[in-house]
Amino acid sequence: MILVDGITLLCNDLQVDPQDIVMLVVSWHMKAATMCEFSKQEFITGLQSLGIDSLEKFRERISFMRSELKDEQKFREIYNYAFGWAKEKGQKSLALDTAIGMWQLLFAEKQWPLVDHWCQFLQARHNKAISRDTWSQLLEFARIVVPALSNYDPEGAWPYLIDEFVDYLTECGIIQKDNVSDDWSYKL
Amino acid sequence: MSSGPKKRNFQIEAFKHKVVVDPKYAEKTWKVLEDAIKEIYNHNASGLSFEELYRNAYNMVLHKFGEKLYSGLVSTMTLHLQSMSKSIEAAQGASFLDELNAKWNDHNKALQMIRDILMYMDRTFIPSTHKTPVHELGLNLWRDYVIHSSKIQSRLLNTILELIQRERTGEVINRGLMRNIIKMLMDLGPSVYQEDFEKPFLNVSADFYRAESQEYIECCDCADYLKKAERRLNEEIDRVSHYLDTKTEPKITNVVEKEMIANHMLRLVHMENSGLVKMLLDDKSEDLARMYNLFRRVSDGLSTIRDVMTSHIRDTGKQLVTDPEKSKNPVEFVETLLEKRDKYDKIIISAFSNDKTFQNALSSSFEYFINLNPRSPEYMSLFVDDKLRKGLKGVKDEDVELILDKVMILFRYLQEKDVFEKYYKQHLAKRLLSGKTVSDDAERSLIVKLKTECGYQFTSKLEGMFTDMKTSQDTMQGFYAACGAELGNGPTLVVQVLTTGSWPTQSTNTCNLPAELSTLCEKFRSYYLGTHTGRRLTWQTNMGTADLRATFGTVQKYELNVSTYQMCVLMLFNNTEHLSYKEIEQATEIPSSDLKRCLQSLACVKGKNVLRKEPMSKDIGEDDAFSVNDNFTSKLRKVKIGTVVAQKESEPEKQETRQRVEEDRKPQIEAAIVRIMKSRRVLDHNNIIAEVTKQLQSRFLANPGEIKKRIESLIERDFLERDNADRRLYRYLA
Repeated sequence: MILVDGITLLCNDLQVDPQDIVMLVVSWHMKAATMCEFSKQEFITGLQSLGIDSLEKFRERISFMRSELKDEQKFREIYNYAFGWAKEKGQKSLALDTAIGMWQLLFAEKQWPLVDHWCQFLQARHNKAISRDTWSQLLEFARIVVPALSNYDPEGAWPYLIDEFVDYLTECGIIQKDNVSDDWSYKL
Repeated sequence: MSSGPKKRNFQIEAFKHKVVVDPKYAEKTWKVLEDAIKEIYNHNASGLSFEELYRNAYNMVLHKFGEKLYSGLVSTMTLHLQSMSKSIEAAQGASFLDELNAKWNDHNKALQMIRDILMYMDRTFIPSTHKTPVHELGLNLWRDYVIHSSKIQSRLLNTILELIQRERTGEVINRGLMRNIIKMLMDLGPSVYQEDFEKPFLNVSADFYRAESQEYIECCDCADYLKKAERRLNEEIDRVSHYLDTKTEPKITNVVEKEMIANHMLRLVHMENSGLVKMLLDDKSEDLARMYNLFRRVSDGLSTIRDVMTSHIRDTGKQLVTDPEKSKNPVEFVETLLEKRDKYDKIIISAFSNDKTFQNALSSSFEYFINLNPRSPEYMSLFVDDKLRKGLKGVKDEDVELILDKVMILFRYLQEKDVFEKYYKQHLAKRLLSGKTVSDDAERSLIVKLKTECGYQFTSKLEGMFTDMKTSQDTMQGFYAACGAELGNGPTLVVQVLTTGSWPTQSTNTCNLPAELSTLCEKFRSYYLGTHTGRRLTWQTNMGTADLRATFGTVQKYELNVSTYQMCVLMLFNNTEHLSYKEIEQATEIPSSDLKRCLQSLACVKGKNVLRKEPMSKDIGEDDAFSVNDNFTSKLRKVKIGTVVAQKESEPEKQETRQRVEEDRKPQIEAAIVRIMKSRRVLDHNNIIAEVTKQLQSRFLANPGEIKKRIESLIERDFLERDNADRRLYRYLA
């Protein structure tokens, strides 16, 4: 097992910050079960699939892996993978703090203007763990619904938490209804 | 003829001389006929020989003079009709119609005779030359030269219309004459009847009724106006039956309906102080029936009535239900609702012919406003509780059924039937345990009705409660049979064993029973567990009662009926004269809020103050001191203190119950979702919400937000998943 110390060493060798999101991509390729842990099997199989057999090659592949985050399809896979990876072993849901951390990391790659409001909302109103469904649906929400929420459909089968988020945004005046043109105008 | 020895067939030969037709023959023959016609028109027909005339006409046709005969007929008749026309025109004033009628009769008689005479021509010459037959010809000529003559046509119409107008203003006219004249027009053919009479008649009538209805509506109230309209309608029907063509009836009634009813419908219905609403309020069933019968004749008439009635019931119902004064007393609240329903039911039956659409409107209105007050289910249960507790005492069986059926009608209107169920359970438990039900049959009858309405699940627990009561009786018998000897002269114990699932959930509180009782209870427990292994018994001290024999001072003996808590408190005073609140609390270990209430009922209620409290305040303080009230007196030997009667819940209790109801709904929603998904396999979001709501409708109105939460919970527990491609689809995971 490679644990935290081992990973730190690895990151040093790769000249990558351990907090860097590319490590998540690495873990994804390795199909690692939990964050900060690589089993021997995971490590070796992962490197093989990446075609890496030396530290040089590993360093080169880092930039490739970074670019994978820009790919829409891959980003989704990595994002959904991150849920299982980040949560505690044996737990069904993801602890709120961890989730918030992950979201901030992930949405730095794929810009979502409402991410800060989302995290604030959760801390103010929810304070409980995040379910897998909510996690995966949030990405869809960020993808489909524009920040001004003009195309948000209240009957669109969004998880309850996301509906509450929309209510929260309206309540706090962050999203306003424009009386004249019936458009939702986005105000930061 | 030659006769001879031989026999021969003999022949008859025609006349051998030539039949010469006199060239003037036709002329002469026609003259005879022409004169005859003249005589006929002059009422001198008796001197004529039918046979001769017929033969003449026959011969003319036979000898190919049909044309002359026919054209002669036409010109002769025309001449006679023209002179008839003149004499009719000359008639003055009222005799105009009489003269016309008389001449018409004459012409008809003449025409008949002429036709009989000319029958051979009618049957042979006319069909082959496609000419108009005699009778019809006679009618046409009459029409052209009399009816449509310039001096007669409009005068005729005006005379008829004027007579009808006079009849409408109340005069008596000669109906027989009218009938004949109108029949004449009918005989002349539908287009004559319609053009020369019916159309103008309808137009004039429309004007008449338009003006009259305008006049009436200004000065009459609704009921009077309707009476007048009905009268006019009947009048017109009567008129038609007496002297018009029956085909005119629907046309003239349409006119009246349009002018008098359809045009003023809304104004009538909304008339202040006399319109529909006032009639409903005052139960004016005769006026309402009249309105119904008149309005059903026009399109949208009934829907107008129905809509106004519906919004009136909804508004008054809403007021009733949201009025804080009216909703103070639950029993009265429900009685008012029942009365209201009875009232409208009666009206619909007596005045609106029990019209189904009106019954439906009544039901939907009640459904609407009953559910505006969230306490309706609770109050209905309290109403039933009151009835079953004392209200139905001495009432005959059929009447009991009637009342319960009416309650069921209201019950059906409730949206939150599960809330009713919760309260009903609570109230039933209290009734059963305190033995306070008036009629076991009535209780059971209501359960059956609820079962029929809502299915087995609704009532299975309620029935369980009854079963427990019965079983407990048997258990007690067994207990005393087995242990009776060793119990001797101690207190008598009556235990009801309640199956946890069936009875409303209660939290168990601490309570120290007096020594005599706790040993007795233990004996029972071991007896019961001896016969029923694997069960656990918990004493519900907050639900029991006790009968105590008490002596106050030295002489006053009373029998007190108290709650278990009260008993524990009172028994303490067998050993001590004075006790403080704290001491009582310590000894009994009864929770403080219950204990305080208990002490209040023993010390602070006039007429029931078996204990004395210092200070004499109403509230219980920590340092209050209690002692037995030796001066306690009561008129009755048996004194009841502290019953566990069902009451309207306080705010916090209400919140608690509502919470429990919400909690109970969650598994029901989940069960519905699973049921639906199991059969459909894949379903989209909106459809799930719709289906679930429909399935649960008979118990409560499911909140879409709550349904969504349950779906998410089921996704979390891997019962369902979202479809990969379409995030709005859910899939059932086996």
